[in-house]
Amino acid sequence: MTFRQFAFNNVLRNKRLYIAYFLSSLFTVMVFFTFAIFAFHPAFSGGKVNQNALIGMAVAGGIIYVFSFFFVLYSMSSFLQSRKKEFGLLIMFGASNKQIRWMVFLENILIGFFATVGGILTGLVFAKAILLIAENVLIIEESLYFYFPTWAIIITFISFIFLFFCISLFVSFILRTNKLVDLIKGDKKSKGEPKASVILSVFAALLIAVGYGVSLYVEGLQVVAALIPVVLVVTLGTYLLFTQLSVYIIRRLKGNKLVFWRKTNMLLFSDLSFRMKDNARTFFMVAIISTVAFSAIGTLYGFQSYLTKGMKEVNQYTLSYSPWGNDSNETIENDLSIINGILEEEKIDSKMETLELTYFDNLIPDARVLVVKASDYNRFAALIGESEVHPAEQEAIVVEQSSAMLSEGPKASELLMDSPIALKDGTIVLPSQVVDTEVLNIMTGYYVVHDNVFEKFTSPDYRDFIAVWKAEDAGKEQLIEVGSKINEAIEYKVTAIDYQLYEIDKTFGPILFIGLFIGIVFFVSAGSFLYFRLFTDLEGEKQKFSSIAKIGLTDSELKKVVNRQVALLFFSPIVVALIHGAVALTALSNFFNYNLTVEASIVLGSFTLIQIIYFLIVRYFYVKQVMRAVM
Amino acid sequence: MLKLTKVSKIYEGKVAYRALTDIDLEIEKGEFVAIMGPSGSGKTTLLNIISTNDSPTTGQVEIDGRDPHKLKKNALAKFRRNELGFIFQDFNLLHTLTVEENIVLPLTLDGTRVKEMKEKAHQLAKSLGIEAIMSKRTYEISGGQAQRVAIARAMIHEPKLLLADEPTGNLDSKASKDVMGMLVSINEREKTSLLMVTHDPQAASYSDRVVFIRDGRLHSEIHRGESRQAFFQKIIDMLSLMGGDGNDFSSVRV
Repeated sequence: MTFRQFAFNNVLRNKRLYIAYFLSSLFTVMVFFTFAIFAFHPAFSGGKVNQNALIGMAVAGGIIYVFSFFFVLYSMSSFLQSRKKEFGLLIMFGASNKQIRWMVFLENILIGFFATVGGILTGLVFAKAILLIAENVLIIEESLYFYFPTWAIIITFISFIFLFFCISLFVSFILRTNKLVDLIKGDKKSKGEPKASVILSVFAALLIAVGYGVSLYVEGLQVVAALIPVVLVVTLGTYLLFTQLSVYIIRRLKGNKLVFWRKTNMLLFSDLSFRMKDNARTFFMVAIISTVAFSAIGTLYGFQSYLTKGMKEVNQYTLSYSPWGNDSNETIENDLSIINGILEEEKIDSKMETLELTYFDNLIPDARVLVVKASDYNRFAALIGESEVHPAEQEAIVVEQSSAMLSEGPKASELLMDSPIALKDGTIVLPSQVVDTEVLNIMTGYYVVHDNVFEKFTSPDYRDFIAVWKAEDAGKEQLIEVGSKINEAIEYKVTAIDYQLYEIDKTFGPILFIGLFIGIVFFVSAGSFLYFRLFTDLEGEKQKFSSIAKIGLTDSELKKVVNRQVALLFFSPIVVALIHGAVALTALSNFFNYNLTVEASIVLGSFTLIQIIYFLIVRYFYVKQVMRAVM
Repeated sequence: MLKLTKVSKIYEGKVAYRALTDIDLEIEKGEFVAIMGPSGSGKTTLLNIISTNDSPTTGQVEIDGRDPHKLKKNALAKFRRNELGFIFQDFNLLHTLTVEENIVLPLTLDGTRVKEMKEKAHQLAKSLGIEAIMSKRTYEISGGQAQRVAIARAMIHEPKLLLADEPTGNLDSKASKDVMGMLVSINEREKTSLLMVTHDPQAASYSDRVVFIRDGRLHSEIHRGESRQAFFQKIIDMLSLMGGDGNDFSSVRV
């Protein structure tokens, strides 16, 4: 047997031990490959998708690749940790450091190679699914058909063989061979607990509290300025939370014999404290990665909903037309007939209303104010099902559109409410109430007055025109078609809401998809970290439980211990990440001044659900493995 | 106390292998029995069947009037925890726990009061001479100490039957003597029945009776007389007769 054969057989005949490491590597490759399939799809290279999206995809690919590097490195180092004893034995038998490094290098190359090939193969299986999802999320004219991804395969293969090569080189180089006795006792000796001090535990709580406080307090543009300091403070706080506070709590629990010596608690806590250092690190990483995933997806989803929902609210009409200030009446007539022509052509039943807008200069200081006749207002209101207004003769109603308002500055209504209108014949009209509607799309607010009073407003200082259409039971597709046609015929003057939303979705789709993809990659990797943490210790756990089972441990007791162990591992970092994510999204909604509660709940809720499902699956296999060892 | 009737064990496989054939064995309360035999004779299989880790293919096992193999899985675990004590060749201590925690483990699983556990642990530790290492971790203690800890763990719940699998297998002769002395004193003081599988004639000579098995059958048994030294000699002779070469016979004594 040559040394090379030994290294190969060591892997091939010891599949169990290597499987967790192999699977997480395979998974990483698969994620990258799936992304590559998508990125290299012929539908994108045809030049029909905008360049920004392509750059975004390249950046996303880079992020996934860098992340893969760290993920594989982490998996590998914790895998090597669990094999200390084996290395100790080899050294005892006279293997030189160089030989051990060579062995680790060969092993990693072997595993890396199979993981790459396996990842590409499983990726191919999922390719159709991912393309289908992409097709539905993205708005792309042609469908993302399945193709044989030669380029994706080549790129993935080369990148990952290179990555595994680098990591193998790297790890075999840093593989420190400590004292032999430490290596041999490696699996029995705890790596120790991080130092836990009360001061640092309090500091951890303080840092997080400050971070949360600041991010909840700031508003508007301050959010951007506060972003980086808050992220740093909270990250540090989270690190201390897991390395200090959790250590401190477990120590207290262990110190209390009433708790620690109660039934299966001893098994659970001794295990937790035994792996405290590893656990703290894993918890920290998982919490941060998940927070990034939650915030990224929440932000994108929130941003999209902010854009589209806001527009939908402001634009209640199917179409609205407003000419340029210097357009002549003929141009307007012409435009209207074109629009009506297109509507007819597409066989869309719609109602049109037009209105001449009259503005007056001297009603309130330093501004021009629109005054609308009550009957005109009611005509428009009827079109979109808003309630009518009936001001008395001496009364003016202030209408404002708060959803279209920017957050800065005083509200329009305040100014208008404070200004009684003195007419030329001496009548005084008093603003009586504020109505908040989208009937006329005027951001600055306006007065609605009684028809009779309106006659007394003479010679407006400025005139404008507006026309609106509300379609009756037309399909969304039809409206988009109409919008695109009208947009071609009369540029910029027409707001066709369905078409504009479609355009937004079209440009926003790829960004959302990429963000979603990266977010999910991060989240699933966080899960894999946990899975890996569990399965690295599996052999030790099996041994432990089988020794206890010989003394006598019922199945239900065993399940109880394992259950709690897995649950603690899975949920403590995620709960922290969920809280972080919720705070981050609240800060975001302060930034936009837009309520994101629904979006945040959907994003965080679905992640919680996924985590629960993931927990149930992993627990099932873990318990099964342990039970098999016991029997 | 323990009664085996016509116990046989056949391992199924490509080639079925008969490990035990019609074993009849009875152990009285408070008796100390050693089982000896060459490697592969079925000693460990026998012990596994008695300790309920393995089930017999045919035959009956009765411990204190009950057949543990007829118990449900959970009840079996409880039975083991309450009625049996185990001592293993490789100690089987949990390395995540301290010595004291290892000793009280069977009681914590049963939910005994902390004060009671502590008292019992300290009593045992005192009698086994391991008080000084109670807060140490398992990798910090020697083999002899580890086996004493294992004995303490096996004894803490006052089992009726103590099963020992090569308890001196990993120990030097001094530590072996100490451990055997302790087992004997426990046996005498607590009237705990003791069944021990061993290769070590020295260890076997501490027992009341040695049962020899060979090729899965009972071969013979010898009882201890007055002197341990003479008993030891008889054991050596029997071992030589069973599997050794002629020159293993001891020289004729005067």
